[in-house]
Amino acid sequence: MMTNMPKERRAGPGYLWPVAIIMIAGAVAGAFAGYSDGLAETGGQPLPTWAGPVAALVLALAGMALYVRLNREAWAGWSPRKRLYWVTMVASMSLGAGVALTLQVAQGSGDLASDAPLTPATAIIVSVIWVVGMSVASLFYFRAVDDHERHAYYLGSVAGFHAFVIACPVWWVAARASLAPPVDAMALFVLTLAVNLIVYLWFKYR
Amino acid sequence: MNNKLKVLRAMRNWSQAELADRLDVSRQAVNAIETGKYDPSLPLAFKLARLFEMPIEDIFDDGFAGQE
Repeated sequence: MMTNMPKERRAGPGYLWPVAIIMIAGAVAGAFAGYSDGLAETGGQPLPTWAGPVAALVLALAGMALYVRLNREAWAGWSPRKRLYWVTMVASMSLGAGVALTLQVAQGSGDLASDAPLTPATAIIVSVIWVVGMSVASLFYFRAVDDHERHAYYLGSVAGFHAFVIACPVWWVAARASLAPPVDAMALFVLTLAVNLIVYLWFKYR
Repeated sequence: MNNKLKVLRAMRNWSQAELADRLDVSRQAVNAIETGKYDPSLPLAFKLARLFEMPIEDIFDDGFAGQE
């Protein structure tokens, strides 16, 4: 078995700039929130809740558009599968950002992952985006992934499934015996996703 | 499963990225196959065999060759 191989140069424009763009956009959203909180504390009129997320989204889209434009020669040599893969990836991330933005705008200030009440319209919009978006993205993802990534994804999915089916009943019976707080669906959702992601990344990049 | 992918790639002076492009898979896939961390599917093994113009069993060794 061949191990300890030297690291090789990766073809293409690399991941550093997209990661930096997303981090900068997140920092801008945080700066808007901090500035708005500061205004509110000093008795001023806080900024609208959508201002920060929209500014971050616009900045991220502009940055990504510039990144794509500057690297257009690199994309030209990509196979249709590779192009479809990355389009699906970017679309999925945009879907998540869209859901987060919709929730943030609808609920106003406060924690995005809170259980604060929502209007029926918001719930329906977010649900439709999630169901349709996830279904379509999954369809394209499975058409675009290669052998190795599909294998990693299957293992991650199985691990996530087991994390859910092990944790959920235990929490449920513990809550019924007053040994734990009531079952929290979103906590289980996050646990499932986290286990899925960790196992997937391990098998893809180890 | 052992394989000669790294040697065959080196003989052609291809990087992992170049081989990945020829196979239309990710560079991580090539690296995982070369290091024995992942055994390719049958379609990908055939693709490798066609690319290197060799039988599959000349590229991959399951440790049972000649034992039947």
